[in-house]
Amino acid sequence: MTQIEPQNQLTLDLSRKHKIEGSQATARQTAELLRSVISQQRVPYTNQAGALIDAVKAIGEQLIAANPVELAVGNIVRRVLHIIREEDLSLTTAAIGGLNLSAVSDDENDDDRDGDSTLSAAAVAAAARSTLRPPSLQTLLEDTPVSAAVPQTSSSGGDSEGKSKSADKSSRSRKLKHDVIEAVNELIQDIVTCHEQIAEQAVEHIHQNEVILTLGSSRTVLEFLFAAKEKKRSFRVFVAEGAPRYQGHLLAKELVARGLQTTLITDSAVFAMISRVNMVIVGAHAVMANGGVIAPVGMNLVALAAQKHAVPFVVLAGSHKLCPLYPHNPEVLLNELRSPSELLDFGEFSDCMDFGSGSGSPLLHVVNPAFDYVPPKLVSLFITDAGGHNPSYMYRLIADYYSADDLVVQRRATAGN
Amino acid sequence: MWHRSASFILDKNQNDTVYPADSVTLTPPPPSSISTPQNPNPNLNRNMSMSAYYQTRAAHHGVVTSDWLAQSQEAATRAVVTGGQEIVDGGKSGRAFSVIDEFNNWRKQPDLAEAVAAIRALAAVIRNSEAKTMMELEIELKKASDSLKSWDTTSISLTAGCDLFMRYVTRTSALEYEDFNSARSRLIERAEKFGEISYKARKIIAMLSQDFIFDGCTILVHGFSRVVMEVLKMAAQNKKLFRVLCTEGRPDRSGLRLANELAKLDVPVKLLIDSAVAYTMDEVDMVFVGADGVVESGGIINMMGTYQIALVAHSMNKPVYVAAESYKFARLYPLDQKDMGPALRPIDFGVPIPSKVEVETSARDYTPPQYLTLLFTDLGVLTPSVVSDELIQLYL
Repeated sequence: MTQIEPQNQLTLDLSRKHKIEGSQATARQTAELLRSVISQQRVPYTNQAGALIDAVKAIGEQLIAANPVELAVGNIVRRVLHIIREEDLSLTTAAIGGLNLSAVSDDENDDDRDGDSTLSAAAVAAAARSTLRPPSLQTLLEDTPVSAAVPQTSSSGGDSEGKSKSADKSSRSRKLKHDVIEAVNELIQDIVTCHEQIAEQAVEHIHQNEVILTLGSSRTVLEFLFAAKEKKRSFRVFVAEGAPRYQGHLLAKELVARGLQTTLITDSAVFAMISRVNMVIVGAHAVMANGGVIAPVGMNLVALAAQKHAVPFVVLAGSHKLCPLYPHNPEVLLNELRSPSELLDFGEFSDCMDFGSGSGSPLLHVVNPAFDYVPPKLVSLFITDAGGHNPSYMYRLIADYYSADDLVVQRRATAGN
Repeated sequence: MWHRSASFILDKNQNDTVYPADSVTLTPPPPSSISTPQNPNPNLNRNMSMSAYYQTRAAHHGVVTSDWLAQSQEAATRAVVTGGQEIVDGGKSGRAFSVIDEFNNWRKQPDLAEAVAAIRALAAVIRNSEAKTMMELEIELKKASDSLKSWDTTSISLTAGCDLFMRYVTRTSALEYEDFNSARSRLIERAEKFGEISYKARKIIAMLSQDFIFDGCTILVHGFSRVVMEVLKMAAQNKKLFRVLCTEGRPDRSGLRLANELAKLDVPVKLLIDSAVAYTMDEVDMVFVGADGVVESGGIINMMGTYQIALVAHSMNKPVYVAAESYKFARLYPLDQKDMGPALRPIDFGVPIPSKVEVETSARDYTPPQYLTLLFTDLGVLTPSVVSDELIQLYL
């Protein structure tokens, strides 16, 4: 079947870990794959949202399992699930509003939100909306949505409007998929244009005659600095080379090509140079729910140096990098170890690292972690495509973009949403 | 004498008249304090007051010598009886008396949280009420809730539970149920269900914290918290390998009880005296505490000693995790330790203390949010800054 192939391809690419570079490309491909899954999915007459959610969860589980360290995959899966729930909710409330004068029946249980008496339609919508958000103190005492227990009072006549109901439903079914696909298209658009939206804010943060420090190479940082240069700010950039991949070299080259005064330093020299720096601007691999940052290795030491010298540490991250999980052991679980060949040349060191010689276990081990975890207290500001925020504000963005039910992406055995 | 002002000499002259002459901690409140009229609240007399909330906790979880306990219980019941009589003399006598009685009945059960007991008591008020309209019912409930709150001003979860229920009542009535009786029965039903919510809350919190307990970790706990007990129990059931360092938790010595329970679960436990926390903080991976109340700033109010432990943990970069149900969120904003109402508990030193020596008998302290890493609640895992957001959403 056609829908399996692209999914398998993506899964393979993800598990190979270097086929797709970068969270943006991964996020985009995931979103496109999910869009095609949704458009090809046959939805039953009732509980369409549930069917879509199940389908997305099934695929999502496989994608996440293929590469758990690439958090952007899980983020996009959860975003799509949230989109499905939201679109469904807005369709339901529109339908309830539309059924203003007609009788309401209670056998149409598309989702958990059944039709309700006209008086409290707004209340139902509000209650249903609140079930989308994570549980809060307000809903603590109500364990089921208000609509479930609202007595069917006077306005609930019979089901005489059965015909109009079914006509309503079929138009609704088409509408849901259509709305969801539209929203996913917007999501893809957001992912693709995140660099521009972040770069727009560059002028507010970079002023005349500043010295900026960055580590490694990040496309977001590049666009950010270019945008400031466009607005005629003159500033200098210190680039830490970012061993062992030395991507800082590439960044330095590009900056020079655009006419920016650049200084290249080793990672070890960061502490020595940090006192000359006004601001540190870096990219991130992922941002966790507590405001902690998963960034290329070496970032933690830059963050510590910046804190010691009271230099603002600014992290640029597109919203697809925002992850709703809390890191409980990030150095181990959210890290990957890369090949030792990036550090040492196998030719010269073959005797030390040889498993075949001597006792069978080499005396020389090489550890090459790809990522670093920067705790939230070291970060001064996050600049996302939704604006600039405090690390302690990240949970709000998460509440907007994700639903509480989707934290664990697992296909549920029982039917339901 | 030991107030904030530096001019304690002057204060001493003033306060000598207020304080009784004989030994402070071991005798029950002298008759003079109880005879103050209009005061059903046993806590108003500063020096002699005993916080009923902490008395209960001691009774449930503490390890105390039996005759001392008998003494303090006698003192507590005497205060309650006096309080009851005072209220009987006032107006609305039958209702108010039964609320507090009812509350006391529920409170005595060791497994029940204070807030649940409060809400059950208020549900009893609804059941016994003869009101015919929502407005009347609300007014009755407000009176009952106020009298409960003033009966024990030191219990944060009691206050928070009452406030939560009152808020729910006013919101529910705003949803325009046409039928008063069905609204009333729904209120009663939700109130009774609240006990289940509270129990489920502990389970949810335990589930959320499982990921943070890894194999081979060392957890430091302070005193006895039922929620933390649930967390550790679930971890043990999930076959995680961890060990627990448990402080004694003077003066209740509730840590001894926790150590007992953990030993029954075959979890390696080590008891420490409270002063040994800094000494052992090196080998600790994380600190787990419960909370008596979570305040608006994101800090917590908990048994005396929690602040100390959080300070030590912070200075050694160890995470401090708090396990608290969401109904403990309170609208308080203490700026320092003395900002809250006093909650005193008599301390048994084992030897009589001369009358000239004062004893710091406060039962609780306030830990500011910057020393806490994460809060595990039934609303999810929260950073301290999220707490104020939740509270604002609820009350504004």
